Amino acid sequence: MIEDIGFWFSYLTNGKHLTWYASFQFTIFAALMGGALAVIFGLAGATMKNSRFMPLRLVGSIYSSIVRGVPDVLFFLFFPLAFEQAVEWVVATQVCSPEAIAAQTAAWPPCREANWFLGTTEYLLLASVSLGLVYGAFATNVIHGALRSVPAGQLEAARAYGMSHSQVLWRIHVRQMWVYALPGLSNVWMLIIKATSLLSLLQIADIVLWADRLGAPNFLPAVGLVHEDWRWRYYLVLFVFYILVTWLSEKGFEAIMRRVGKGILSEARA
Amino acid sequence: MQGFLDDLAIMAPAVMFNIYFAAASIPIGFVLAVFLALGKGSNNPLINRMSRGYIYAFRGSPLFIQFFMFYSLALSLNISVWRPLGISGFVLHPLFIGPMVLILNTAAYTAEIFYGALRAVPRGELEAAKAYGMSPRQQFRRVVWPNLIRLAWPAYTNEVVFLFHATAIVYFALPVVGGQADLMMTAKSLFERDFNAFLHFSVAALYFLLVSLVIFFIFGLIYQRLMRHLPAQPGIRFVPKWMR
Repeated sequence: MIEDIGFWFSYLTNGKHLTWYASFQFTIFAALMGGALAVIFGLAGATMKNSRFMPLRLVGSIYSSIVRGVPDVLFFLFFPLAFEQAVEWVVATQVCSPEAIAAQTAAWPPCREANWFLGTTEYLLLASVSLGLVYGAFATNVIHGALRSVPAGQLEAARAYGMSHSQVLWRIHVRQMWVYALPGLSNVWMLIIKATSLLSLLQIADIVLWADRLGAPNFLPAVGLVHEDWRWRYYLVLFVFYILVTWLSEKGFEAIMRRVGKGILSEARA
Repeated sequence: MQGFLDDLAIMAPAVMFNIYFAAASIPIGFVLAVFLALGKGSNNPLINRMSRGYIYAFRGSPLFIQFFMFYSLALSLNISVWRPLGISGFVLHPLFIGPMVLILNTAAYTAEIFYGALRAVPRGELEAAKAYGMSPRQQFRRVVWPNLIRLAWPAYTNEVVFLFHATAIVYFALPVVGGQADLMMTAKSLFERDFNAFLHFSVAALYFLLVSLVIFFIFGLIYQRLMRHLPAQPGIRFVPKWMR
């Protein structure tokens, strides 16, 4: 019995498992960074959608509708690839000699010097930005709606005090908007958490990739414990992990809502 | 331009796989969701707990993980169960297991929508039905269900479009059998050939947008039909948001 516990303890703390536990940092980083960026992009999108300048309004609307109209995976894959190519193209205009371009046989990059190798860090940052871009479009909608729920009297009072348009926006409108936006933003946050499971598509060795590697059947005693296909057990762990994270975030958002919603209309606390 | 037209032609068969996954999972998911929603609204503690737990688990975890989990579970049962029964080729085929996981997933999301609508069914109508002496079955058939489906339909439309978008990740989790590649796989393999990300992914996005518009249109027609007893309502903007 004691040996069994000791055996499983040492199995679950071997190097591969420790790497798996360490890879949770990628998921958590992507979620937090993606969430922060989504709020920033959402604010930018909503202010554009609310702007008095027609083209800006159009940009805001097009951003939120197009990005929400295509699957998140598509944009999640497309943005890092497109960004990488754009950077390589800019670099190529500077460093590539005509001979090097002529010598290049592959379709991309234009010459070998312009190749940009992306490691885990770069991919993680790009993945966070694309999570922010995708879910920023959802946040744009949420924040746009919240901006419209702020009582008009508050804004009129601010205008009556002689505040300029941008002062009204940033001092009164945006600050009062949060209470109305929180329920929607909590939904966006849940979507972001779930989207962090896609990190392995961008060659990041995240929790999903490690679960696959650890659970794969092993027949060589030299490599480690001989076991059959255990992948579903590892995925079950991740399944439970994500449910727990969702549950924790729900509790967190409830607490924030209680705190922020104090003294404000009860209908804001949906 | 020629590349664009070529891509449109190459991806036309690919989009059928996405449509197949969505079309195969929507009807069964719908039926399952009705039972789950009723279960969540039921007074029986066991049924209530189980439906609640199911809905929470499948809404709280990523579809991507669900795909991996169920596929690897099916794989590990292969030698002991599927192979002796002689159905391993069928059970492990993405065209079977893909819709299966999608059904489990969409049932949970749809059940939550239906449960919300169930709670919004006007109490007075239910009380009137009881006063008329309707049996619970009659109450459901004549009062609850017509209200529920009308209340839930707009949100359900969104869920169907989301489900269609979710079909994009099926083949990232399941193996591609032969030439059966969906939009994302086709776009990705085209991209790996000539590294033209902007063209291939845009065409795939265009297909997704187009099908989403068609879904909105069809479901809008159904909504009009459901609401035909009411005078034409100017307030219902069922035009998808990106065309407004």
